[in-house]
Amino acid sequence: AGMDNLEATDESSFSVDEVSNIIKESVEDVIGTAHYSHNKVGQWTSSVIEQCVNQLTRLGKPFKYIVTCLVMQKNGAGLNTASSCYWDSQTDGSCIIKWENKSMYVIVSVFGLAV
Amino acid sequence: KESVMDDLSEENTFSVDEVSQIIKEGVETCIGTSQFQQNKVNQWTSSIIEHCLNQLTKLGKPFKYVANCVIMQKNGAGLHTASSCYWDNQTDGSCTIKWENKTMHVIVTVFGLAI
Repeated sequence: AGMDNLEATDESSFSVDEVSNIIKESVEDVIGTAHYSHNKVGQWTSSVIEQCVNQLTRLGKPFKYIVTCLVMQKNGAGLNTASSCYWDSQTDGSCIIKWENKSMYVIVSVFGLAV
Repeated sequence: KESVMDDLSEENTFSVDEVSQIIKEGVETCIGTSQFQQNKVNQWTSSIIEHCLNQLTKLGKPFKYVANCVIMQKNGAGLHTASSCYWDNQTDGSCTIKWENKTMHVIVTVFGLAI
């Protein structure tokens, strides 16, 4: 409501490619080839998220961000995640990356909502 | 960014209690005592989220919403999720509900961002 000035230039729209790179770098840096470890998981999710939020805010775009990170041990269990957003489809966007190594699955989502 | 939201009345803030009720109802209604089933999981996550978003928009508050639902089979695997938000602390909020029955874990998170 009230968003008359929708000049969707590069500086003010959500860039899936940019965000996708930020996410992949964070996961590679923090986890990489590490083996699933129950007592390190908390640290990993926090670090991945922290790195993402830092890089995102550095982009300097007029957005609010929500970053979520899920790490699951590869153990044969079934996992399903879904999300839905009530937002402004012209300016807002999301990027979800599914990543894995030998012992775990990692799913990181970033939602960007224009201010 | 100057926020024009001087009026922080109840109608304009995120109510964790209200949202928590909505989420719990959603999960009970869509899953209840069902057993984990690979071919129904997609349907369940979609229904839960749809229910949540419908009820949330009915609240008629000036918010954008992001709803996320994770369903995991109880199989002994370790799961860890975390999220971080870059938002306006005075007006925005989130609510995460962890629920379970005999065969699965369900985690639903709703983020509300003031417009």
